[in-house]
Amino acid sequence: MARPAGAAPARARARGVALPALGVAVIWLFLIVFLVYPLLRIFYDAVTDEAGAFTLQHVVEFAGDGYYRRSLVNSLLLGLGTVLATSVLGFAIAFLLVRYDFVGRGLFGYLTLIPIVSPPLVGVLGVTFILGRAGTVNVLLQDWFDVVRPVNFVYGVHGVLLVETLHLFPMITLNVVDALGKIDPALEEAAESVGARGWRKLRTITLPLTTPGYVAGALLVFIWTFSDFATPLVLGVHDLLAAQAYLNIVQFVDRRLFRMGIVISALMVVLALVFLVAARRYVAIKDYSSLSYSRIARRRLSGPRQVVAVAFLSLVMLASFVPYLGVALAAVGRGWSLTPFPVQYTVAYFERVIVETPKYIVNSFLYSGLAVALCVAVGVPIAWLLARTRVPGRDVLDGLNTLILAIPGTAIGIAYIRAFHVDLPGLERPLTSLWIILPIVLAIRRLPYTVRGSYASLLLVHRSMEEAAASVGATGLRTFRDVTLPLTWRGVLVGSLFSFMTSLQEASAVLFLSLGGWETMTVGIFSFYIAGSANEAAALGVILIAVAALSVVVINRVAGARMGGMFG
Amino acid sequence: MKIALRSVVKAFGGVTAVDGVSLDIGDGELFTLLGPSGCGKTTLLRLIAGFYAADGGEIWFGDRRVDALAPYERNIGMVFQNYALWPHMTVRGNVAYGLRLRRLPAAEVEDRLAEGLRQVNLVGLEQRYPGQLSGGQQQRVALARALVLNPDILLLDEPLSNLDAKIRVQVRAEIRRLQKQLGITTVYVTHDQEEALSLSDRVAVMREGRVLQVAAPKALYERPATRFVADFVGVNNFIPGVCRGSADGGVTVDTLLGAVRGRTVADVPAGARCVVAVRPENLALGAPGDNVFAGRVALASYLGSTLRYDVEAAGGLIVKVDIRDPWHHEPLAPGAAVTVSFPASAALALGDE
Repeated sequence: MARPAGAAPARARARGVALPALGVAVIWLFLIVFLVYPLLRIFYDAVTDEAGAFTLQHVVEFAGDGYYRRSLVNSLLLGLGTVLATSVLGFAIAFLLVRYDFVGRGLFGYLTLIPIVSPPLVGVLGVTFILGRAGTVNVLLQDWFDVVRPVNFVYGVHGVLLVETLHLFPMITLNVVDALGKIDPALEEAAESVGARGWRKLRTITLPLTTPGYVAGALLVFIWTFSDFATPLVLGVHDLLAAQAYLNIVQFVDRRLFRMGIVISALMVVLALVFLVAARRYVAIKDYSSLSYSRIARRRLSGPRQVVAVAFLSLVMLASFVPYLGVALAAVGRGWSLTPFPVQYTVAYFERVIVETPKYIVNSFLYSGLAVALCVAVGVPIAWLLARTRVPGRDVLDGLNTLILAIPGTAIGIAYIRAFHVDLPGLERPLTSLWIILPIVLAIRRLPYTVRGSYASLLLVHRSMEEAAASVGATGLRTFRDVTLPLTWRGVLVGSLFSFMTSLQEASAVLFLSLGGWETMTVGIFSFYIAGSANEAAALGVILIAVAALSVVVINRVAGARMGGMFG
Repeated sequence: MKIALRSVVKAFGGVTAVDGVSLDIGDGELFTLLGPSGCGKTTLLRLIAGFYAADGGEIWFGDRRVDALAPYERNIGMVFQNYALWPHMTVRGNVAYGLRLRRLPAAEVEDRLAEGLRQVNLVGLEQRYPGQLSGGQQQRVALARALVLNPDILLLDEPLSNLDAKIRVQVRAEIRRLQKQLGITTVYVTHDQEEALSLSDRVAVMREGRVLQVAAPKALYERPATRFVADFVGVNNFIPGVCRGSADGGVTVDTLLGAVRGRTVADVPAGARCVVAVRPENLALGAPGDNVFAGRVALASYLGSTLRYDVEAAGGLIVKVDIRDPWHHEPLAPGAAVTVSFPASAALALGDE
């Protein structure tokens, strides 16, 4: 932004318009090239043949294939089932945390955040160590109760449902906690005054008032489950849409199957769009936020009820910590088989993934770091445009930003493979052969968190605060430095940290684009596990969890526990 | 339905919000709780409604003791300060909600809904959501929602504070008309003394959790019991002095303005410090009267219907004097010497607090 000294006033004025315009143009260019174009490209590919001529042959083929149709139905059912299960769990926990007081409430509130930061791949691995056919629980059952055939706890759709539910229920909890906190107590008192109480009041007044926040959370849960292919594949479930997309794309042999993968990912984008628009429509007519300064007082639970509440929460937390336990044990256990717990312990696996092949960690941090730099460079100006200006196209910008949250990583990964497989002018190599594509795809995927964090804190700085600074003589830059920046940096930092943490954990898009030498930790976990080296996978998982936990602690320190807005 | 409060106490932490309040509210009366913010008036209303449990004392509705009952067992209708309309329900949904809870036949729900909406002039807006209504309309929905259940008692918590000044006067009149027509016992909370005076059958002035005075609006305005009430309700001049002696409700007070003749409501002993309270509209320029003093115009404020002079009298005492018909009065320049008079009947000697 260095300006040549002594510029003529007229030129300076011209630049006063030209420079922001240029900035807006750069932002749009970035979004169009790396988001809009790839998405359009998969639709183009889905309806053209090898020669580029229009054809509906692939779509017809997909629709005519019973296996694909069943996969589609399975995926929708699994998504719905997970939404249902997470809703029951998420609502119950949110209610307990917000409305009641009991021993350990603060601790449970904190623990609730933990499952969500567990990298998805790591969770499913941990579950197999503990609940798998030769896992701890089955071994114990055989030793103690002479059970002959191992119980199948996880392999199958029920296992996917279990793993996704335990991983995703905090998304519901966070959003509902947020929504409950915003309900004006007078709304419930009004209901009581006309005779509604207990379940009736809950069902007709309280629950409907939480719908805007709840719907946002439920949508994310659905799309996440719908587009996750790693969890089903590890658990041996193949007849799901996302799994089919992955399997069809990564085998580069059969062109027909490859096309099917593209059709599937196009379908996934369409479905995500439909659900997103439906959810937005539904929420748009429901602005229930009120400027309420009072809160509903927490009710102290009676002794026996406290026991039930604490037991319930402990059970849920215990279940959602099973994966961590499994991963931790596998990361340090040598030759762990047919015993409930490892017999010998070693740090060899950590040595292998940290010292011998440090590329996983180095790559992860490098790519995620670059991605966050991009997020800040693009996302903070977007937040500013949304919060402070009336630039034409704001709505589209806002829509694109939300759209990113809804689009499955699988689809983005496939879209990038197709879109950037053409040689770059002057380089004679496609973008897909350059590692820089990974930070770029990560930046696009995690941009919304930075934008939301920044946007929220910009809204807190009321325009009049800046105007007040100007009225006492502060220049634009001084105002920014002395007023805007001190009040907004936390939001930007929290958003960026969240972008960083989730970049480290990104699996789906990166799995498609990663080439030899670019492996990140998540790619390492997946390939180690598929190759049978579960311990190395677990060691990488522990490192990922540690980084995520550290990020959450920092985010909490900076922003308090209000992470709910990040997922809405 | 009569309401009786007996030594009602409510504390939050160490703060006593309602401190031993006893009141009797008559059947069909519009009774107002008036006071500055933090005086405990809203707390008292919520105790009557049942949203708070009293720490001590009794609350009676007629011959039914209610202080241990939940709000929905008291048969009250409540209008909240911010209306508390359920944003996810239409006008119809909001008003009919309580009727549905009572499992009334559909036809009766329809009848009472129609009647309720007609009472508050909301016919035709049934399908709107609260967010699509103006403030005044929202207010009337809240009122209809409370009244449609035929409550024994109507409770209104600063119902007009979120409305524009013009609308406020209009809705105020509507509330009063409806209340009279239905003959429903009503407790009304406000911090606006003008609202309290214009609307109420009787007013209780509250301060720091206690009731200072209960009186009809005219009595409250003309015969305040304490200096606080005299100050809070309307505008008053306070002239400090020492009581010389009183007889037959008449009193003489030695003040900076000389001996002032006035009246008392409660006896003030001779030799005690007191203040003489006299309202600006009872002072006049020039005319002969029971009490006369000289001063200079310090400030003239033109208020449209009145012109208010701040007159600086002996000892730097500032006295407000209202000219009631500014059309036919040529404003005096600051510094102009004036003579001010007021009748003894409008000068009230009150104990100094």
